[in-house]
Amino acid sequence: MSEQSEHLVKSFDQDLKRLTDMLIRMGGIVENQVALAAESIMDRNADAATKTVEEDVKVDALEREVEQYVIRMLALRQPMAADLRLVVAALKVTGDLERIGDYAANVAKRSIVLAQFPAPYSLGGLAHMVNLVQEQLKSIIDALGSSDSEKALEVWRSDRAVDDIYNTIFRELITYMMEDPRNITPCTHLLFIAKNLERIGDHTTNIAETIYYSVKGEVLPDVRPKGDTSAYAVVRPSE
Amino acid sequence: MSTTMSGQQSQQSGYGGVQIHSSTEINAAKISIENVDFFYGDNRALKSVNLNLPDRQVTGMIGPSGCGKSTLLRVLNRMYDLYPGQRATGAAMMDGQNIISPDTDLNTLRARIGMVFQKPTPFPMTIYDNIAFGVKLHEKLSKSQMDERVEWSLTRGALWTEVKDRLQTSAMGLSGGQQQRLCIARTIAVRPEVILLDEPTSALDPISTLKIEELIDELKHDFTIAIVTHNMQLAARCADQVAFFYLGEMVEVAPAAQLFTAPKEKRTQDYVTGRFG
Repeated sequence: MSEQSEHLVKSFDQDLKRLTDMLIRMGGIVENQVALAAESIMDRNADAATKTVEEDVKVDALEREVEQYVIRMLALRQPMAADLRLVVAALKVTGDLERIGDYAANVAKRSIVLAQFPAPYSLGGLAHMVNLVQEQLKSIIDALGSSDSEKALEVWRSDRAVDDIYNTIFRELITYMMEDPRNITPCTHLLFIAKNLERIGDHTTNIAETIYYSVKGEVLPDVRPKGDTSAYAVVRPSE
Repeated sequence: MSTTMSGQQSQQSGYGGVQIHSSTEINAAKISIENVDFFYGDNRALKSVNLNLPDRQVTGMIGPSGCGKSTLLRVLNRMYDLYPGQRATGAAMMDGQNIISPDTDLNTLRARIGMVFQKPTPFPMTIYDNIAFGVKLHEKLSKSQMDERVEWSLTRGALWTEVKDRLQTSAMGLSGGQQQRLCIARTIAVRPEVILLDEPTSALDPISTLKIEELIDELKHDFTIAIVTHNMQLAARCADQVAFFYLGEMVEVAPAAQLFTAPKEKRTQDYVTGRFG
């Protein structure tokens, strides 16, 4: 990757650089989408929501572009070792980024519905979660650009915090719904929003794993710091 | 000395992800090369090379021109004995016997270790005689035994169906790919234990190359094979383990999937990715 010496065939270096540039551009758009999605919930900003959804077209187009470019490179260059890892990593990362873009768009769409209801409670927890997810996403795109496996490892480790906040929000929202059935519609949307953000965190972690393999040639352990326990959560009304 | 290099051990020594999940088991050594140095006059062409050729598996040897990989093959069947001023030191042990030792009987050695070269080298005689010639040097066979041996060798060499109706025509009339398979069949005919292939496909078209590749896959069930090649794809697909040579040193040896996805040495990485040559 970046600290490597140059290829004998210069155009190979250009191809690899172009591939990395495409990913970074895609990462930039997705990062912006998540920021816009956050704005659309926190500030009830419908324009931001529309913008988030519109950006998705660009992300999808870039994903196809990266895919085709990867297939072309595999066929024409037959990359080996670190080059092979980078090219395959690009294919995986582009998929993860595309999913993150989709989740951001979904958050934005729900924010439009949500704006029709009075907020059932303070969005402080969600705001905290959004901040964390955005921070991680930014770090991982930086790590992508600089082939920084240590930074990727940091992001990989920090996903736990996002999961913890998600669990808290999950319980809180169920409590609100039990208190007053009129809260069910906005709280359900909020629940999906929180889940989408949690998924964004997971895909960011996937990217971290991919970068680590691409740079180091070693896979991270199968057990990753996962903390989403909501799948097993039961909240019963007090008798 | 244990020669097993299972995935488990690979993982411990920091090998990459692919290897952990691949099932490459490297067998015990058929030939164990220990501290071999080789000199062309004053020029030291091999520098303390250590390498095991695992039994009934394929060892690929790659590296830029002049790195010593062909020299190592020449050491293994004592080809250098023909040239004054060339000498090898160290040991290459096969079944407790040092190949490099002056006591080694060369005729027996070369029957046990066959070699195939870059350019097909058929003898200017019939296809049948090309096979029979080497066999006659080592064994006394009846006509029917010889017929059987010729058919067996040509079948193993994946050439029988193409030449069975013209065994008595000149081998020079075969195509390049067929000639190379004839040379492999000729090598097999004396029933060696080890086959050394020096760039066996570099003069062949892609389809002939694939046929040789298929043949190597087939032959490794019975023979220990070492193949020197500049074709990295060929090494990647054929070889169980691949050794990278540079300037007379054996830099790195690892299972093929490991060496081509996550080599440990920077020089290996630079070579397989095309960063120097």
